[in-house]
Amino acid sequence: MSEAPEMHVRPKIVGARIKRTEDPRLLTGLGAYTDDRQIVRPLHVAFRRSDQSHAKIRLIDSAAARKAPGVVAIFTAVDLSEDVRTLVATSRMKDYHATPIFPLARGKVRYVGEPVVGVIAQSRYQAEDALELIVIDYEPLPVVIDPEQAVRDGAPLLHEEAGTNVLVSREFKRGDIDAVLASAPVRVEGRFRMHRKTPVAIEPRACVAEYDAGRQALTLHSATQVPGIVRDALAAALDIPGHRVRVIAPDVGGGFGGKGSLYPEEIFVCAAARRLRRAVKWTSDRMEDLLANTQGFDEIVDAEIGLDAGGHVLALRADVIGDVGAYSIYPWTAALEPIQVVSFLPGPYRIEHYRGRVQAVATSKAPTGPYRGVGRPTSTFVMERLMDMAAARLSIDPAEIRRRNLIPADELPYKAASGIVWDKSGFHECLQAACNAIGYDAWRARQKTARANGRWIGIGIASYAELTGIGSRISVAPGMPINTGTETASIRIDSTGAITAAFGVASHGQGLETTLAQVVAEHLGARFEDIRVIQGDSAAVAGGTGTYASRSMVLAGGAATLAAQTVRDKILNAASHLLEASVGDLAVQDGKITIVGTDRSISFADVARAVYSEIGKLPQEARGELAATKTYDPVFGTTSSATHIAVVEIDPQTYQIRIDQFVVAEDCGKLVNPLIVDGQVHGGVAQGIGAALYEEVRYDPQGQILTASLVDYLVPSACEIPSIQVTHVESASPTTLGGFRGMGEGGTIGALAAIANAVADALSPLGVDINELPMTPERLFRLIEAAKAETRS
Amino acid sequence: MKPPVFDYIAATSTDMAVAALAAAGGEAKIIAGGQSLMPMLSFRLLRPSLLVDINRIPGLAYIEEADTCLRIGALTRHFQIETSPVIARHLPVLSAAMTHVAHLAIRNRGTIGGSLSHGDPAAELPMIAVLLDATLHIESVSGQRAVRAQDFFLDALTVDLDSAEVLAEIILPKLPPNTGWGFEEIARRHGDFAIAAVAATLTVSDGSIRQARIALTGVGPTPVRAAAAETLLIGHALENKLVESVARAVRAAIAPEDDLHASADYRRHLAGVLTDRALHAAWRRAQGEP
Ligand SMILES: Cc1cc2nc3c(=O)[nH]c(=O)nc-3n(C[C@H](O)[C@H](O)[C@H](O)COP(=O)(O)OP(=O)(O)OC[C@H]3O[C@@H](n4cnc5c(N)ncnc54)[C@H](O)[C@@H]3O)c2cc1C
Repeated sequence: MSEAPEMHVRPKIVGARIKRTEDPRLLTGLGAYTDDRQIVRPLHVAFRRSDQSHAKIRLIDSAAARKAPGVVAIFTAVDLSEDVRTLVATSRMKDYHATPIFPLARGKVRYVGEPVVGVIAQSRYQAEDALELIVIDYEPLPVVIDPEQAVRDGAPLLHEEAGTNVLVSREFKRGDIDAVLASAPVRVEGRFRMHRKTPVAIEPRACVAEYDAGRQALTLHSATQVPGIVRDALAAALDIPGHRVRVIAPDVGGGFGGKGSLYPEEIFVCAAARRLRRAVKWTSDRMEDLLANTQGFDEIVDAEIGLDAGGHVLALRADVIGDVGAYSIYPWTAALEPIQVVSFLPGPYRIEHYRGRVQAVATSKAPTGPYRGVGRPTSTFVMERLMDMAAARLSIDPAEIRRRNLIPADELPYKAASGIVWDKSGFHECLQAACNAIGYDAWRARQKTARANGRWIGIGIASYAELTGIGSRISVAPGMPINTGTETASIRIDSTGAITAAFGVASHGQGLETTLAQVVAEHLGARFEDIRVIQGDSAAVAGGTGTYASRSMVLAGGAATLAAQTVRDKILNAASHLLEASVGDLAVQDGKITIVGTDRSISFADVARAVYSEIGKLPQEARGELAATKTYDPVFGTTSSATHIAVVEIDPQTYQIRIDQFVVAEDCGKLVNPLIVDGQVHGGVAQGIGAALYEEVRYDPQGQILTASLVDYLVPSACEIPSIQVTHVESASPTTLGGFRGMGEGGTIGALAAIANAVADALSPLGVDINELPMTPERLFRLIEAAKAETRS
Repeated sequence: MKPPVFDYIAATSTDMAVAALAAAGGEAKIIAGGQSLMPMLSFRLLRPSLLVDINRIPGLAYIEEADTCLRIGALTRHFQIETSPVIARHLPVLSAAMTHVAHLAIRNRGTIGGSLSHGDPAAELPMIAVLLDATLHIESVSGQRAVRAQDFFLDALTVDLDSAEVLAEIILPKLPPNTGWGFEEIARRHGDFAIAAVAATLTVSDGSIRQARIALTGVGPTPVRAAAAETLLIGHALENKLVESVARAVRAAIAPEDDLHASADYRRHLAGVLTDRALHAAWRRAQGEP
C-alpha cells in the first residue's frame, strides 16, 4: 500500500485541533433525531413484549385490543408472514447454527422483552393502553439461562432446529501447548467472569417508516449506525429494489455498537407502513432499551499462562464460554463477540504456543451484539490479569514484565498465535509514555508509604493491541457473508462552487462531519468550512455499510483522500486553461488556485462557473463534472495499541473504590483531530470504568431481567469519572492511506483491565484475587470478608 | 412507559385540593414535584383517576423561623432547603443531607412534602425528620391533625396519610446549643439513593454527652432511630471503645434486606462504619471544630 502523496504544505488541516462542526447544532437543540421528525399523522407502535423467558405461544387474543380507542391495526408474526422474508445471518464457519430474525416472535418466545405483538394506534398512549388488553396464552418451557448448563448434553434447547445451544464453536491453535505448559517453570491460571453489559446510548433506538404509495417507495429514518446494512437487508426482506427503499440515519445520539445491527422493530415498521400505506413510528422507551437492545460481553474464561523463570510467557491456554443470548444478530452472527475474545487473547505479546477454544452459547436473554471493544475488553481483562498475577508470583514489577513480553519494534509485523498480524505500532512506546505520564516510579514509592499507613492504594497497567479499519481480506465476524472491507466517498463541486462530500459511513457522535471534512479540505485544497459532509444516508453512495469497528476514519478517510485528489486534478486541469498556465505551475489552497510565485489566482467558484455555466470558456475536455467517487479498501486493516494506567484508592472500611488518576498513552497513527481523539478516548474510558465498577445486566434464574430501569442498571455519571490524561504516540500506520489507525473503541478495551489490576494491586496484601467484573462494593465486601476470615482461621 | 389516562386539577388553595381529593373517593393522587410520582405513573404502577396538582397553591412553600423551631411548607423544594441560610444556621445536618438527595435538576423540582409522603426506604428527608423529632401537619376536609415523624413511616412507601389528606407543614425543632452533628452516606453513585446512611447529633456539656440521636436510612423498610444505641452514649465522653459498642447496638437495631445493589450483610457492616464516622464528626463539631 502506498503512502498518501504529500501534496500540501502549510497550514495542515489534517492534524489540527478543530472544534466539531456538528456541535453548535447539537448543543443548541437544533439537531434532528429520528423522533424529532415531523410527519403528517404518523401512526405509533407499541410492542407487547414477552414476559416469559422461554415459552411456546399457544394463543394470542387481540379482540378486545382491536376495539380500544385509537387502534388502527394489530399484527402478530402470522399476520406478517406473507409480507416479510425471513433473514438469516449465515456464515461459512463450520459448526455454526444460524438463527433467523423475525419482526415478531414466531411460535415461541426466547427472552423477556422479545416483541410478540405490534399494536398500531393514533398515539403511543393509546397503543400502550391497548397492549394491556391483549391476552397471550403461553406454555412455559424449561429455562435456558445458565450458559454452563446450556452447553451440556441433554440441556433444554432454545432453538430445536439447531440441535444444540452451542451456536458456534472454534479453536485457535499454534504450537504444542500441552507439552510447553507442562514443562513451564511458572504457571498462573484463573477463571474469569466478565458480566453482561448494555450500551445505554442517550438516544434510545427509534425508527419511522414512510411509505410513498404513488412511487411504491419506503423511506426509513432510523437511529442506526448501519443505514447501508439495514437498507440492503430491508430490500431483501421486503423484496423491494434498493432504489425504492432508502434508510437515513439522521442525527444519532450514540450507539456504542448497540445500534450496529438490524433489529426486528425496523423490519416491523417498514412492513406495517407498506401494508397500511401510512407512516409508522416506534421510539424505544428506556425500559425497552434495557430489555431488548443488543447487549455486550458476558463471558466465562478459564485461562492459564506458562512462563520461564525470567517472566517470559511461553504458552497461553484459554477456554471460553460466551453467552450470546437468544439469537444470532444480523448480520454479525453469534460469533462476533466470543470469537474475538480468543482471537485477541494473546494481545501485543510474543507468545509462541497458544490454544484458545470458544463456545458461543444461546440462552434465553436478550441477544448480545457488538459493544464498544467487541471481545477485546474481555480478552484484555484476562490477559492483563494473568500478566499481573505472573508478575506477583515472580516478584517482577508489572511494568517490567510487560516490557519483557511486548513484541519488540524490530519483530513487527508479527503474526500472533491466533493468526492476527500486528503491523508496526508503538507497543513499547505506549507503555513507556504511560509510565512517564503518570509518574509510575513515584506512585510505587507513594504506594509503599501509604500501605505502611494502612491505606489501600493500587496501580494497574493494561496494554493491548487491536485490529482496526479492517479491509476486505478480514471479516468483522468470521465467515460472515457481507463484506465490510470498503467504503466510498463521493465528492463534488456544484455549479455554485460549493463542495459536498458524501459517504456511506454513519456518524453517531464520533464527529465525522468534522474529521472527514478535514481530510477532504486537505487533499482538495479547499477551506475546511466550505465542505459539507453528507453521511448516514443509504442514498448517498451506491454501497456502504456504516460506522462501527473503529473503521470510519481509515476507510472513509482513505476514500475521501482518493476522491479529493481526483477532483483536485480536474480543478487544476480546468484552472490551467483559465489561467493559461501549466498545471505544474499551479498551487491549490484555501479554495483558490494560484500561479506559484504570482498574485494571479482564481477561486473554486470561478472554476465551477466556467465548467458548468460559461460554456465556451473551456475546451470540452476540461468541462468534465467536478466530481469523483472513489472506494477504498485497506485490505487487511491496521493495528492500534495503547497502555492505560489507573491509580485507585479503596476505603479499607467501606470498600468504596475511588479512581485517583488515569492515563492513556495510545497510538492511533496519524491524528486527524487531536480534540476528537481525546474525546473518543475519554468516552471509551468512561465506558470501561462502567464495565469495571458499575454496569451489569442481571437476570434471575427464571430469566426475568432485574435491571430494567436506570435505577438498577448503573451507568457512571460525570461524578464517577476522573479527569483522564491522554498522551498520543503518533506513529503513522504503514498500511493505510494517510497513516490513520482506528481509535473509536480502544478507550473501553484498556480501561477495565487497568482498573481491575489497580483494584487487585490495592488488595494484594490481603491476597484477594480480582477475576470478576464489574467489581462492585458488594463483591469486594464478600472477597475481603472471606480473605479476612481465612487469615483469622 | 406512558401513563394511563387520568384527569387533572390544578388546585389554587389547600381547601380546593382536599375537596378534590375527598370527591375522588380515594382514587386521586397529589402531584407536587412529580419526581417520584411521574415514574410510577409511567411504569403504570399507579393508576389514579385524578391528579391534584398542588404546585399553584400560594403560600405552601416557605421556611419560617420561630423561637424553638423551623416551620417548612410542604411545597418547599429540596434546593431551597439545601441553600437556606436559616437551615444552615439551625439545622446544618439537614443542609448536609440535602446534598445527597438526587441531582440538582431533581432538587429543583422535588419537595419536602413529596419526599416524606412518598416514604422511600432509602431517602434522606424521612431519616432527618425522624432524627430531629419532626412534627408533620396534615390537612383534610375533616380538619387538621399532627403526627410525629417517628409514627409517620409505617413501611416501605407507606406512610400515615389517608388518600384524602395533604401534608401541609413540617415542624423541625432547632438543635440545642453545644450540639454537634455528623452525616455519612454510602451510595453506588453520586446522587443515588443510600445503600446506608447515618445521621447523628450529640449535645455535649462539661465533656460528656447529654443528648444523643442516631438515625439511619437504607437499612430497612423505614428510617430507623437507634434508641438503645443512643442511650449508651449518655453521660460519657466519646471514645473508641464506646463507639464500638454503640456501632454494635446500631447494627443490632436494624433489619436490612438484600437487593440488587447491596446485601443485608454489607448494609449492616456499613451501618457500623458510618455510625462510627458520624459520631466522631458530631463529637468534633460539638467541641466547636468545623
Ligand atoms: C433520578 C432520581 C434520583 C433520586 N434520588 C434521590 C435520593 O438520592 N434521595 C432522595 O431522598 N430522593 C431521591 N429522589 C426522589 C426525590 O427526592 C423526589 O423529589 C421526592 O421523593 C418526591 O418529591 P416530589 O415533590 O417530587 O413528589 P411527587 O413525585 O410529586 O409525589 C410523590 C408522592 O407523594 C405524594 N405527595 C406529594 N406531595 C404531597 C403532599 N404535600 N401531601 C400528601 N401527599 C403528597 C404524591 O401523591 C406521591 O404519591 C430521586 C428522584 C429521581 C428521579
